[in-house]
Amino acid sequence: MKCDEQLKGPEVAKRRFARGRDTRFLSWAFLLLAFLLVNLGCGQEKGARLTFWQFWPSEIITPIITEFEKANPGVKVEMQQLTWQNGFEKIVAAVSSGTQPDLCELGSTWVPRFAADGVLSDITSEVKDLRESYLFWDSCTLDGKIYGIPWVAGTRVLFYNKRLFERAGLDPEIPPRTWEELIDCADRIHALGKDVYGFGMNAGERYILYKKFMPFAWGSGGDILSDDLAHSVFSSKENVDALHFYCSLRDVSLMEKQDVLDMAFKQGKLGLQISGGWNLRTIPSDVPELEFGVALVPKRALDRGFHASFAGSEVLVTFVKSKHKREALKLARFLISKGNVISLCRSAKSVQPALKGAENDPYYESHPLERVFVIQLGTAVPPPPHPSWVEIEEAINTAIEEAIYEIRSPEDALAEADRKIERIVSRADG
Amino acid sequence: MQKNRSTLAFLSPWIVSFGIFWVFPLLFSLVLSFVRFNPLRPDLVHFVGLSNFSRALTDPLFWTSLRNTFVFVAGTVPVTTVIAFFLAVAINQRIPCRSLYRSGFFIPSVISIVVIAIIFKQLYAPAGLVNKLVESLGGEGRSWLGDPRTSLLSIMAMDVWASFGYYTILFLAGLQAIPSELYEAARIDGSGFWNTLRFITVPMIRPITLFVVVINTIRSFQIFIEIFVMTRGGPLNSTLTSVFYLYDRAFYRFEMGYASAVAYLLFIVIMTFSVLQMKYLRVGRAAGE
Repeated sequence: MKCDEQLKGPEVAKRRFARGRDTRFLSWAFLLLAFLLVNLGCGQEKGARLTFWQFWPSEIITPIITEFEKANPGVKVEMQQLTWQNGFEKIVAAVSSGTQPDLCELGSTWVPRFAADGVLSDITSEVKDLRESYLFWDSCTLDGKIYGIPWVAGTRVLFYNKRLFERAGLDPEIPPRTWEELIDCADRIHALGKDVYGFGMNAGERYILYKKFMPFAWGSGGDILSDDLAHSVFSSKENVDALHFYCSLRDVSLMEKQDVLDMAFKQGKLGLQISGGWNLRTIPSDVPELEFGVALVPKRALDRGFHASFAGSEVLVTFVKSKHKREALKLARFLISKGNVISLCRSAKSVQPALKGAENDPYYESHPLERVFVIQLGTAVPPPPHPSWVEIEEAINTAIEEAIYEIRSPEDALAEADRKIERIVSRADG
Repeated sequence: MQKNRSTLAFLSPWIVSFGIFWVFPLLFSLVLSFVRFNPLRPDLVHFVGLSNFSRALTDPLFWTSLRNTFVFVAGTVPVTTVIAFFLAVAINQRIPCRSLYRSGFFIPSVISIVVIAIIFKQLYAPAGLVNKLVESLGGEGRSWLGDPRTSLLSIMAMDVWASFGYYTILFLAGLQAIPSELYEAARIDGSGFWNTLRFITVPMIRPITLFVVVINTIRSFQIFIEIFVMTRGGPLNSTLTSVFYLYDRAFYRFEMGYASAVAYLLFIVIMTFSVLQMKYLRVGRAAGE
C-alpha cells in the first residue's frame, strides 16, 4: 500500500504540472510574489530614512545611533557596516549606480579622489563653525573647498617591550627619543639571542610601508610633494638620509608583515616596533602579562627635527546625489561631538578623536598609553591630499621596498620614485 | 508546444540569472575594454579604440604579472595532477580505513580558501610551524612570504595542498569506473603494477585527466584570493598575478576600461591554453585507442 502511494505521487504530480492552466497559475503566483517582495523593499515610511555607511562594528556604533534617533524623533537611521577590505569598492559601485548613502565614512586618502571626480558635496559653508575645534581639515580639502568632516584619526607610535629593555640593560622607563637611541636600543635587544629581534620592519605588504618610513623623513624636514601639491620633492637630502637610517635598522630587525610583527611583539620576541592603537585593545586581552610601553616616534636628534608620525583620518561625507543632506549633516555633527567621539574612541582604541585638545580630556588624562597617541597626533603628518595619491603611494612603497631589499641604493630608489611622482602630478587629468 | 513552455518556465530562474550575472557582465566588460571609464564619472566615458590593449602590452608590470601567473600555473598544475593521480591510485587499493583517507584528503577543499590563506600566513611566519620544522631538520628558517625569492613558491605550495584533495576525488571516481575485467585480464597475462598502470589505468582515465588539467589550469590562471590575503602582490611584485594586477587597476585606480582590457587579454591566454590542452590530450586518446 505504502509502496503504491510512493509510485503514484510523482506520476500525479507530473500529470498536473504538465497541464497548461497550472503552469500559468504557477508563473502568475511567482510574478505576484516577486512584485510583493519588491514593493515591501521600497515601502515608504513617514519621516526621513537616513542611510549611513560606516566601518565600525555594531556594538561600538549602535549605542550612539540609538541616542541620535531618540533625540531626533522622525529620523530613522539605516546603517550598513563596511569592511576595510571591500568597503571602498562598495562605495564606488554605489556611487556609480546612484545608490549612494546619505552619510558615509571615508578614509581621508580617498577624499581627494572622490572630490576631484565631483561626487562629494561641497560643505565649506556648513562647517565654518567647526574648523576651530577639529584637526585634519587639509585632508578633506581640495582647491580650497571642504568636502568632509574629520571624525577620528589614527596614528602610529613606538611600542617597546619593557622586559627586553631590562634584559638588555636598558632603563625600561626611558624609551628612545632620537634615531641614535633607537638604533642603539634595537641593537642591544637584537644581541640578546636568536629568537629576539630588535626592531620590527614592515615588509611584504606594500600598502603599509610608507606609513612606517615617512615619519623619519617628515620628522627631519623631508616631504613628498611641494606645498602646492604641484611638484615632487621626494628625492630631497632629508629623505635620502632618512631612508639610509631606516635601512640601517634592517640588520637588527625582523622583516615581516604587520600582523606577524604584532604577533611577535605579543610573544615578547620583538623589542621595538612602530604600530597602531589596535594593539592597546588586543594586547591586554591576548597577553595581559606583557609589560610594554609606548612613546612618540623618535626624532632625528634632541636638537633637530620633530616627532613626526603618519596620520590617517576618517571623515564623514555626503554625496552630491544624497537625498537627505540636511539630516546627514545633523548626524555628522552628532557623531563628532566631543562626548560621542570620545566614547567611540574609548571602545575602539585604534583611533583617537580628530579633536583639538583631546589630551586634556579627563579620560585621556587617566589613560596614559592612549594619551601618547593623542599627543603623537598633534605632530603627525597626513599624506598629501592629492587625487592621484594611490599612484603616488605605490611609487613611494616601491622605492622603500627596493631600498630595504637592497635592489637599489636609497639615492637611486628615491630618484626613480621622484621621477614617477613628478610624472603623476604633472599629468593634466590629475 | 505546451511542454516547451513549461520547460522554459522551470528553466527561467536559471536562464534569467545566467543572463544577468554572466552574459551581461561578459559583454559589458568587452565594451568597457574599448573605452576609458571611471565609475565615479560615468559622464566622461569615451571610446579609445585599442589603446587600452596596447597600453597593457607595453606596461612592464603587466608582463611581470603574466610571468608570475605562468610560473604559478606551470608549477602547480602538473604537481597537483600527479599527486592527485597517485593518491587516487593508492586509496583505490584495498587498504584499511579507506574512507578515512578519502575524506581526509578532501577536507582542504571544504575549507574556505581565505581561512586557509590566513592559517598559512601564520605557518610561514618566522616563528611559524614551517620554520620550526625546517630548523628541526637542521635547515635555516626564513621569512617565506617576506622574501621575494620564496614568496610565490610558498603560495604555490599552499595551493597544491589546498587543491589536490578535490582532484584526488575526481580521479578516484574515474578509477572506480574502469571495468575490473581489464585488471583481471591483465593479471592473468602477468602484467605487473607499473605496466597495468601504464597500459590500463592511464589510458582509461584520460577523460578525467583532461578534465582535471583543463579545470585546474583555468582556475590557476585566475589565482587571486590567496594573493589578496597573503601578500597583495608584494614583496617587490614577486607575487603580482594577472588578476590581482587588474583588480588593483580597476578598484584602486578606477581604470575600469583598462582593467577590462587586461581581463580580456587574460581570457585569450586561458582560452588558448584550454584549446591546446583539449586538442593535445584528445588526440592522445584517439591514438591510444
